[in-house]
Amino acid sequence: MDSPFPRSSSAAGEGRIVIRLLPEGISGLQALSYQYPLKLVSPTRPSETKSVLVFLLSFGGGLVGGDIVNLSVDVQTGAKLALVTQGHTKIFKSATPDVVTRQTMRVQIAADAALCLLPDPVQPFASSVYEQVQIFRLARNASLCLLDWVTQGRTARGENWSFVRWLGRNEVWALGDASTERDRLLVRDSVILDNNRAHPQLPSLRESMHSVGVIGTLLLRGPLMKSLGEFFLGEFAALPRLGARDFRSDDAKAAAAPLSPREKWRAERLRMERENKLLWSAANVRGCVVVKFGALDVEAGRSWVGSMLLEEGSVSRHFGDHSLMCVR
Amino acid sequence: MDSRIVNESYSDSTLDNEIADLERKLAIAKAKRPQQLTPHSHSSPTNSTPPLLASLHDTSFHFLLLLSDSALPLGSFAFSSGLESYLAHQKLVSRQPTSFASFLPLSISSYASTTLPFALAAHRDPASLATLDDAQDATIVCTVGRRASVAQGRALLGIWERSFAGTNTSIPGTGVMDGKGEGGEGQRQREGLEALRAFSALLKTSSSSTSTSTSTSTSTSTSTSPPSSTATAAAAHETTTCANDPLPPPAASAHLAPLFGAICRVVGLSLEQTAYIFLLGHVKALVSAAVRAGMFGPYQAQKTLASGTVQGLVSAMIEREWETNVEEAGQNVPVMDLWVGRHEVLYSKIFNS
Repeated sequence: MDSPFPRSSSAAGEGRIVIRLLPEGISGLQALSYQYPLKLVSPTRPSETKSVLVFLLSFGGGLVGGDIVNLSVDVQTGAKLALVTQGHTKIFKSATPDVVTRQTMRVQIAADAALCLLPDPVQPFASSVYEQVQIFRLARNASLCLLDWVTQGRTARGENWSFVRWLGRNEVWALGDASTERDRLLVRDSVILDNNRAHPQLPSLRESMHSVGVIGTLLLRGPLMKSLGEFFLGEFAALPRLGARDFRSDDAKAAAAPLSPREKWRAERLRMERENKLLWSAANVRGCVVVKFGALDVEAGRSWVGSMLLEEGSVSRHFGDHSLMCVR
Repeated sequence: MDSRIVNESYSDSTLDNEIADLERKLAIAKAKRPQQLTPHSHSSPTNSTPPLLASLHDTSFHFLLLLSDSALPLGSFAFSSGLESYLAHQKLVSRQPTSFASFLPLSISSYASTTLPFALAAHRDPASLATLDDAQDATIVCTVGRRASVAQGRALLGIWERSFAGTNTSIPGTGVMDGKGEGGEGQRQREGLEALRAFSALLKTSSSSTSTSTSTSTSTSTSTSPPSSTATAAAAHETTTCANDPLPPPAASAHLAPLFGAICRVVGLSLEQTAYIFLLGHVKALVSAAVRAGMFGPYQAQKTLASGTVQGLVSAMIEREWETNVEEAGQNVPVMDLWVGRHEVLYSKIFNS
């Protein structure tokens, strides 16, 4: 009623992206199709050729309550695809809690192919109901860089985790080889944010977020993301110990060996992490590196992810700078 | 105030369930031993013996007490499930007051939403133990949480093999009672036994063949040495496989929840009992961690455990996750992942998680 967008039809917005390796050795678009409310755009004259760039958009800049989007992505042998968005994916309110707005993405990444999915965060409005399932099936030596993050809503309007429910699930599967092995689930990362309290003693969703305004997961897998994964694990191990004290005098600190560029960058990043109350952890889970982070607001999260990815450099090296446009 | 009313209604329903369950057990026990060992039978004119008496001969009741005992050597005391890290983060990062009363409900809720569906599923279908273990291994996306779950799971499997499974006569399906299990239940228990045996064998073969890959990941995660050396050590190991996918994950890890569900089924505990002592075990470990972390003393600890809040929370969580498929299990307190994961970066710690 108060939505400026047309009432969505019951038909799902089906979309399909197929990327293949062209004879000249660069990746090219083989097929691109979409239906309302999904919209896919790929620049016809791309400035970079390291990967094909596709924008995941929606008519009206968001999903109206009850919208359903099913996207299938096929990255063929040796090809590379970068998926980005333009601005937050807004999730508008649902009329009733049983009207669920859904996005499903099924991705197939062939041998030696790679996908980089670094979108803007999902921004669920008050009273929205959203479920997102992303399934990635990786053949041998396929690579994946995935960022999935969600914000507290429109802070300017006082929204603070005020939606009904937000559910996000990411699955990474390794495809079985030569009909002998079965497909193997490597990681199933699932976040359930529900404002419905099962018991009166449970804190509200807002309280349970402990003043975090954005939470995110970065998932890395495959040979192209190997050095980035090790970088995150190394930086996590290098975090200053919580509760440790520096007993050196100011003179001794000043006299310490000059910092390398990496150390300078790290010191600055740690200062930002403290300032923005950014908490993160990284773990090696069955051959994937899973990074979890939470920050006060979107910009703090964005600058942190961007800083890490730019400093290490392999995303830009393998997919081109355009793949990073949402995290700069 | 109204929370208390809700708590009482929850406890009533739990009691009702337990009574119904014990009565069912009574009927089973009586069917097995019609005329024997009932010196008090003359005192009751009807055939119904008081439930308490029946429970004296009830194997599952015996195992209920063993599995819910805090002396069960799972090593749970070594883990605080993020409590220690929560305290450090609240004090040092957020500069907020800490309170066990606010951490406890979050922790129960998070533990229930991430792990309880695996315990329930293993109890419902013990034959799928290995599949559930593999699926849960894929869902615990933090090193510290994995360590805690696997350490306790392996300990439980050890207790099963070395202590419980040998007591042939008392466990249905293992010894003299074999074949007497009535219909589906006996069948399920035998399946569970077979699944536990097969799982244990799988764990032994998989942990020997993939020991190299696990040692790499643990050295990366547990090391407190400078990152450069850790990274190079990991890199040096990885270069042998070069720019290829890492080895596939081990076939079995032995996480606590599915093993707990399967073992409870085999010793005859009901699904409700299994879920209840699984969650209550988590609460007991947390409370005991809080005592050792100096948050409060033993009387306050028992007061917390005895409270209607804990009872109500545990029941409410069981009801919430009763129908949750393992594919839908997930983290509902995202900061818990951060606290548990960042237990690694505490300067001083008394717990392993």
